[in-house]
Amino acid sequence: MSASAETAEQPQAVRAHRRGAGIASYGGFIPAIVLFGLFFLVPLAIIVCYSFWETIDYSVVHHWTLDNYRYFFSVSAYVTTMWSTLWVAIVATAIAIGLAFPFAYWLSRYVPQWLRLPLLVLVIVPFWTSYLLRVYSWLTILGEKGVLNRFLQWAGITHHPLGVFLYDRPAVILVLIYLYFPFGALTLYSSIERFDWNQLRAAMDLGASPLKAIFRILVPQIMPGIVTAVIFVFIPILGEYLTPQIVGGTGGVMIGNLIVNFFQAAEYTRGAAVSLLIALFIVGLLALFRKSLSTADAYGA
Amino acid sequence: MMVRSPRLRGNDTVATTVATPTDTEPARTTAGIELRGVVKRYGSANALRGLDLEIRDGEFFCLLGPSGCGKTTTLNLIGGFVAPTEGEIWIQGRRIDTLPPHKRPVNTVFQSYALFPHMNVRENVRFGLKMDRVPRVESTERVEEALALVGLEDYGDRSPAQLSGGQQQRVAVARALVKRPAVLLLDEPLGALDLKLRQRLQIELAQIHRDVGTTFVYVTHDQEEAMSMADRIAVMNDGRVEQLGSPEEVYRRPVSRFVADFIGDSNFFAADVAGPTATLADGTCVPCEGGRSGAATLMVRPETIRLGGGEGSIAGRVVHTSFLGSYVRVAVETGAAEAPVMVALREATLVPAPGETVSLSWSAADGIVLEAGS
Repeated sequence: MSASAETAEQPQAVRAHRRGAGIASYGGFIPAIVLFGLFFLVPLAIIVCYSFWETIDYSVVHHWTLDNYRYFFSVSAYVTTMWSTLWVAIVATAIAIGLAFPFAYWLSRYVPQWLRLPLLVLVIVPFWTSYLLRVYSWLTILGEKGVLNRFLQWAGITHHPLGVFLYDRPAVILVLIYLYFPFGALTLYSSIERFDWNQLRAAMDLGASPLKAIFRILVPQIMPGIVTAVIFVFIPILGEYLTPQIVGGTGGVMIGNLIVNFFQAAEYTRGAAVSLLIALFIVGLLALFRKSLSTADAYGA
Repeated sequence: MMVRSPRLRGNDTVATTVATPTDTEPARTTAGIELRGVVKRYGSANALRGLDLEIRDGEFFCLLGPSGCGKTTTLNLIGGFVAPTEGEIWIQGRRIDTLPPHKRPVNTVFQSYALFPHMNVRENVRFGLKMDRVPRVESTERVEEALALVGLEDYGDRSPAQLSGGQQQRVAVARALVKRPAVLLLDEPLGALDLKLRQRLQIELAQIHRDVGTTFVYVTHDQEEAMSMADRIAVMNDGRVEQLGSPEEVYRRPVSRFVADFIGDSNFFAADVAGPTATLADGTCVPCEGGRSGAATLMVRPETIRLGGGEGSIAGRVVHTSFLGSYVRVAVETGAAEAPVMVALREATLVPAPGETVSLSWSAADGIVLEAGS
């Protein structure tokens, strides 16, 4: 008796609570709103405003203009840097994911369960050391007195140390692949791990070659994981600044370095404009990916 | 619901699905499948110890045995997912053990079905034809035929997740049969289903087998399943075929205690056999089939034992009776065997009460003499 009365009254009670509590029920969001506002919205608003203001004599003047954007696109070196940044990011992402996929595949299909965790930890270990250190360590590998040159001289392939390994775009791409491979590997592993390998056997049984089976059966089902991996790798690379700074020389300059240069030269408004361009580009990219992510979900993968 | 479709007959179109074998050895046999001296070792463990097996074209062949007996390994060897350590495998006069799975004229229904969740039922069934580059018009026709064969013509647009276990199993069968393989391999395909559905699908599978005429090789550990569908059964144990024969042969004339024990219920007695008489442990003499002498194991099926009888019967005391619907099982303690002797009685009126003393007898032909030993 009392039980049925309770269930009948409950919805009303809930409704009353919702009506009465009003704004108070959102109280729990206040810390998030404050944090989000202080550390994200306010800085973003400042950057947006800066990008439409002017810098005169090293100080920002509140004078609305599109000059910063116009300036960026008028200097061909900047535009070239933008394209090469995009190019470096695409190539590094493609290779990093291209290496991470077979690794994750091998790890989840052929490595016994007890050995997987140690191997995953090995992948993560570099994160425990400083980012700066990891980039610098490549100088001791690729530099003129580096491991690579010493080996080549020892092997008699060359008599003088070669400078071609460092301070150009290939070096930047190589180091970026090294830095971002773990992101790709971990993300892909977590989505491949759940795959039912019998499906690949079934595909081969039905006449698919091993590669065809992987691309027709495995890849479509882990598409959300692949997209996530690409996001995790591609977007941070777009904003990279230290790696090109340390191993890139003049040939490896990326758009992140441009922004730093602008700010160091106290051209805050121009720097803000370039920052916003990258941000807009990334937002556009995410919107694109979001669509492919949701269609993948529709298949129940 | 079932559409008889002669177009799905497998054997005439095999050539389209088989790649030309790389070796030029002449064909030695035209049996459906032939395994010659196949050995499979995993490290030092022998999964198969020298398997010689001939499966006839178009037959429903069962590999039956407990887990770990090598039956699934045998299936994987034919399917190409496992390479033999030694020996050869031939299908319709073509050596196939050197071919990768996707080039063998063989398709498999997996235990877990392994349907592709990102494709609907129709796309699942079409997948194999797509891989063979079958023209669109023909493949559409064949897909619909295969779906009709398993009674799922209205389910083409569903995703596998929307189907019941039995329906998924039928999709798996359609997906394999649409390729018109020379041989269909089935790896415990009914294992995940409940008893009623299993029994219904057993009948359906046997029907499909008759419709398409393809050789079926069916792996199971369920003797009833094997008995109900197979033309012939290979009872496997410890990497070897223990006995090969029709369900009736295997049941009536088991060659070893293992087979007798694995298929159906049986009573075993340690016995000393001389001609048509076996002397049991307690000294009673009972009739048995002739032909062998010396120490042996005497096997008698519960349903061949009669209550009563004078000469050549053993005395015992009823310890328990259980009503099992179609028969009554009576457990009788005797001096002749350690375990109670099981008797299956059809006529319920003759059931003795527990504690009653009875005598058990059987005819000579039902006393099967097997090799001695536990």
